[in-house]
Amino acid sequence: MTTAQTSPPAVARPALAAGRAPHRRAPRVPGTARLIAAILVILAFVSPIYLTVVNAFKPERDIVSDPAAPPIHPTLSNLSTALSRPDHLLQLGLRNSVITVVCSVLLLIPLGSAFSFYISRRRTRLRAAILALLAAGLMIPPQVVLLPTIHILTLAGLDHTYLGLILSNVGGGYLSFAVFVYVGFMRAIPEEIVEAARIDGAGGLRIWWKIIMPLVRPATATVAIFLSLWIWNDFLNPLFILGPLQGQTITTGLYLSVGQFQMNYGQLFGIMFLAGVIPVAGYLVMQKQFIAGLTAGSTK
Amino acid sequence: MKSRSRWLRDVRNDLGLRLIAATALLLYVIFIVVPVLMSLHSSFTDENPLQSGSNFIGLANYRTMVHDGELHATVLYTLALALAVTVVANVVGIAFAVLLNRSKLSYRVLRTVAFLPQVVSGVIVGFVWKTILTEDGLLNNALTRLHLVKEPVDWLGTPHMAQLSVGIVVAWVLSGFTTVVYLAALQNIPPELYDASSIDGATSRQQFRMITLRLVAPATTISVTISLITVLKLYDVITVLTSGGPANATESTAQYIVKLAFTSDRFGYASAVAMGLLLLSAVIALSVTSFLRRREIDL
Repeated sequence: MTTAQTSPPAVARPALAAGRAPHRRAPRVPGTARLIAAILVILAFVSPIYLTVVNAFKPERDIVSDPAAPPIHPTLSNLSTALSRPDHLLQLGLRNSVITVVCSVLLLIPLGSAFSFYISRRRTRLRAAILALLAAGLMIPPQVVLLPTIHILTLAGLDHTYLGLILSNVGGGYLSFAVFVYVGFMRAIPEEIVEAARIDGAGGLRIWWKIIMPLVRPATATVAIFLSLWIWNDFLNPLFILGPLQGQTITTGLYLSVGQFQMNYGQLFGIMFLAGVIPVAGYLVMQKQFIAGLTAGSTK
Repeated sequence: MKSRSRWLRDVRNDLGLRLIAATALLLYVIFIVVPVLMSLHSSFTDENPLQSGSNFIGLANYRTMVHDGELHATVLYTLALALAVTVVANVVGIAFAVLLNRSKLSYRVLRTVAFLPQVVSGVIVGFVWKTILTEDGLLNNALTRLHLVKEPVDWLGTPHMAQLSVGIVVAWVLSGFTTVVYLAALQNIPPELYDASSIDGATSRQQFRMITLRLVAPATTISVTISLITVLKLYDVITVLTSGGPANATESTAQYIVKLAFTSDRFGYASAVAMGLLLLSAVIALSVTSFLRRREIDL
């Protein structure tokens, strides 16, 4: 997904929701039939998600007798069982994931944007070389750098710590993504704006923070949204950088405890629902920016 | 005098910006550039965590790769998976995009829903699909109740079935993404093209082939490249769904590297295989991108 940004947009395009009206054509299929077909196809497509949602609210008996039925005897017992586990899987996992995501993204945004502003005002050849170096970060499989990263963190005394995980997030391929999004936006800012501020006596740091950052707010939204989602859903790095003893993010926590023993459907769907509901809710609230960000890079 | 103080202030203020930029670059060097070089170095050694030092053994690890049957199987499966998943996810993506390319509210809701598989983490995707696909899972429950099959199908239990199941799940995840990318591309096609071709008597199949498919080419480049790279890196979904089994049938090269490093403690060899995967990803990404870019046409 990250390489979506190798050809960043000059400006964010209003995508899907706000986009141009689709073409008109003589309708060969009646509108209602088409809509019903579309609903059936998409419902079938997302049926695993549908199953998770409805079965999280059904008693075990109803799940086994008809998994696809809506909750006729709705119950919250699956959710309360999930939340009252003695290992506090969900509470601890969600807390640790929130900490990791918030710290990583709060560091990545200023670092990524200041870096992008700095190099977008440099000579083209230097800029091209550094951007090529960063582009590699989008392509390198995380398995290639995992073992040395753990070595480096061990040398610094940061192995099995959240600080270590956060720093490796900030320095890893996520930074490449942030820089590519920001550079695309910053190239579109006229040189005169920066020059005018300089003549007025503002320094680089001030120009970046007071003038550039407000102008690239859509880029910041894209970077924040996607990096939050990816870091939240990351599995490999927390699994090996934190290790099994240091508390878990939500993804590694699920893997290490749900995989361990058999549980009934109700418990499993209850846990999956609660573990997945935060990113899904975030997506539903911010879907406009989400899709604008995703499509901005792919339809230059 | 005045210009001198202005100059000093400029430098001082620029220093702050330079410092932040340098920090960013330094972190990137520490966590990407140096690790790649360290991996390259240890790929020429017999490094493992049980011995203190490591010996330079030249190309021995790379020679081992030539005769490593498990490695060959994982590369073959990873490539087959990448190819199949990319084709399926892109065909589904275009089809869904054409189906959902209407501006009514109901279609906008469906678009939102179609992207959901991309939002949920691979671990959750793995567990939910596992619950559906295991031998006494929800799918077999439904199929036997509807008398569509006599015996439950072991979707994850036999090598070929498991390979197919993993492919379906990964294609499912990526289809949400390709749908959104193709939808954006469709909305950038000027409606006049369709109107003009209708007047010229084009059938809707001709319009799809001559207009739609050609004008979504830039989206195809992005979508195909990302699908391929995603599969080459893939770890979480397979780990949860099958742990690479049965009998290593669904083990990807990315998983094999992690297994070599953390289960077999063969750091040196794991690094050599990682270098191989890095080279493979780079070659595939660059060649596919340049091939597809040439097929794009400008309006």
